Amino acid sequence: MPAFPDRTLDQLRRAVAKIDPASSLELKGGLRLGVPTLDAMLEGGLAFGALHELAPASPFELGAAFGFAFSLAALAAVDGRQVLYIETDFAAMEGGAPYGPGLDQLGLSLDQLLILQVAQPRDALFACEEALKCPALAATLVELPEDGVAADPVATRRLALAVQAGGGLGLLLRQKASPLPIPAMTRWQVAAAVSEPDRFGGLGRTRFDLLLKRNRRGRCGRVIACWNHDQHSFAPEALSLGLAEAARDRSDRAPLRRTA
Amino acid sequence: MNDAAARLGLTTGMALADAKAMYPALSVADAEPQADARLLAAVADWCDRYTPLIGLDPPDGLLLDITGCAHLFGGEAALGRDIVRRLAQQGLAARVAVADTAGGAWAAARFEKSCLVVPPGGTREALLPLQLAALRIAPEVQEALAQVGLKRIADVIDRPRAPLAARFGQHFIRRLDQALGRDEEPITPRLPVPACVVERRFAEPILLEADVLGTIEFLAHELARVLERRGEGARRLAVALFRTDGKVARAEVGTGAPLRDPARIRALFVERIAAAGDIANPGFGFDVIRLAALATERCDPVQTGLAAPDHSADLAHLIDRLGARFGLRRITRLVPQDTHIPEFAVAAVPAAEDRPPLSRGQAQRTDDRRQQGKNYLSSEPAPTQAGACRPSSDSPTRPIRLFPRPEPIEAMAEVPDGPPVRFRWRQVLHQVAHAEGPERIAMEWWRDEKGRVLTRDYFRIESESGVRAWLYREGLYGHERAPPRWFLHGLFA
Repeated sequence: MPAFPDRTLDQLRRAVAKIDPASSLELKGGLRLGVPTLDAMLEGGLAFGALHELAPASPFELGAAFGFAFSLAALAAVDGRQVLYIETDFAAMEGGAPYGPGLDQLGLSLDQLLILQVAQPRDALFACEEALKCPALAATLVELPEDGVAADPVATRRLALAVQAGGGLGLLLRQKASPLPIPAMTRWQVAAAVSEPDRFGGLGRTRFDLLLKRNRRGRCGRVIACWNHDQHSFAPEALSLGLAEAARDRSDRAPLRRTA
Repeated sequence: MNDAAARLGLTTGMALADAKAMYPALSVADAEPQADARLLAAVADWCDRYTPLIGLDPPDGLLLDITGCAHLFGGEAALGRDIVRRLAQQGLAARVAVADTAGGAWAAARFEKSCLVVPPGGTREALLPLQLAALRIAPEVQEALAQVGLKRIADVIDRPRAPLAARFGQHFIRRLDQALGRDEEPITPRLPVPACVVERRFAEPILLEADVLGTIEFLAHELARVLERRGEGARRLAVALFRTDGKVARAEVGTGAPLRDPARIRALFVERIAAAGDIANPGFGFDVIRLAALATERCDPVQTGLAAPDHSADLAHLIDRLGARFGLRRITRLVPQDTHIPEFAVAAVPAAEDRPPLSRGQAQRTDDRRQQGKNYLSSEPAPTQAGACRPSSDSPTRPIRLFPRPEPIEAMAEVPDGPPVRFRWRQVLHQVAHAEGPERIAMEWWRDEKGRVLTRDYFRIESESGVRAWLYREGLYGHERAPPRWFLHGLFA
């Protein structure tokens, strides 16, 4: 990246944008994640109308990658729009099927979730292209088995064009990272991070170890983000000690006790 | 037996040895009743171009209800001639008769010399000279009648009915009445009769898929006009493509909501034809294309709002298109169920059947419906806001991915009820850092009469690398099976 001065790059980008408006990197709207470091890296949030690629760091961290993808979808769907999840039969057998109660706790209401199961990865990409064009969907997630070989540059280019037309969030979840370049706005590697145990030594909040490997609009980097299951948002910063407990706002939960 | 054999003097029911003795060069093939039935069904399909109401009359007949259809083909006689001519082009010999009643037409087609149109009210006169076999009665009854000298319909038609019924059975009288139109005889249609049909015929057969789709859209415009007048929309649509060589290809699509927008109807058939590629194989071309609404539902015009763009129509259309391509059952919603068994806590319901609340304002209606339905959580209003399922804690209590089959793992745990210390899943050893549990989930005893299903103790664990999983031990130490087995059931975020 630093091989060119920024100004040259900007000029080139503007010139290309004049020729091909679709390749413009102007942000049409960003999904703010609520993690200051991440939002700064993304320069205004995760771009709507763009494709984002996610993969787990290891096969065992599929749950984390899946959880991060769905937390992004839940954030995008706060306006009540729908989320479509596309999976292949094989992926559901191998890695498990999405489970309603868990997704509900994560923050995505079941009324807002549509699930499509298809036989082949090729079908999944076709369905994804159709869905990305639909403005009624806040986010479309497609999960591809293994390294998602079917998602070649041509197929993903079609997806990228479709998502620009629809304006939703296109999330391409691979079960295994692929070195193939695709026209995605960002590429993430998601791993599970060790959580901060709660007061009683039990499991704390879910933490993701996010490695932003590719970002067409800003810097790359590594961030640990913590998902708050109560408020359905990313917690700003994971505070270190037990002091964090006192600072938690539970006004919605026990208003009587507070006033008394 | 074909016409050539009939000319040689052979008859049905003759012994094969006799026939061979008369004509040693006779070529013989086994009868194939199933193949004949298939051919009859194919011909019935083809006859669909004349009327949608066609009944099979096995082994060799078809009953067509052409009420209100004949004028489209230039009258009843012209329609009959058209059927004979077109079937002859396909190598099939047919006899056609048109009459007031199904029984009358049956008799006229089989026992008259040529293609015949019995004039309205003339069924009785037409039947008089025919043999009694024309009444579709069993050979025994026919023989019994012949023994007493009754051979033609004219012999029995005016006789007192009671003695005839007493001697030759009620069925005989019933057949006579049906032929004369005194008793009803419904034609059972082979295919469901559509609520509304539009079709287009071509002087020259069309070959291109684009033309076919263009025709479907054109027909959809006409269908939309008819449906709009009735205030209805289609829930199930079928298109029938009649090939010039007699084959009929059919494609059917379902919709999640009543539909009459022509462009959307076309889009559904684009998907359907793409999914099953051989439908649009034109052969020598299609000469008739028909679009039918098989099921309709009330569909009132909707007031468009000014406040916010309403995407519900877009969403319904997307579901229909994906459904047309992959099957409407493949696109589902998860609906909470009234059970505590983890794998049955939600059921996947086809999205086209379970209409979603498309905006927050409609959520109330879903609540009402859920309280009515037995399958829904009926004790309290169902959650519509995310996260309302459970009292919250710092970490979720249910995984986001559940394995359809719990995966067996090797685990080391404290006896009797301790959480696992380490476990091996998919050949990799995981060291447990934190665990919460057990959450004991016993199976539903009222469904488990023999007491074979074991109790499960679920643990939520986090490994040293941060991976979270939902494990369970099947069976209790000392009470149920020993040694209990461990499974990994789901993954947390």
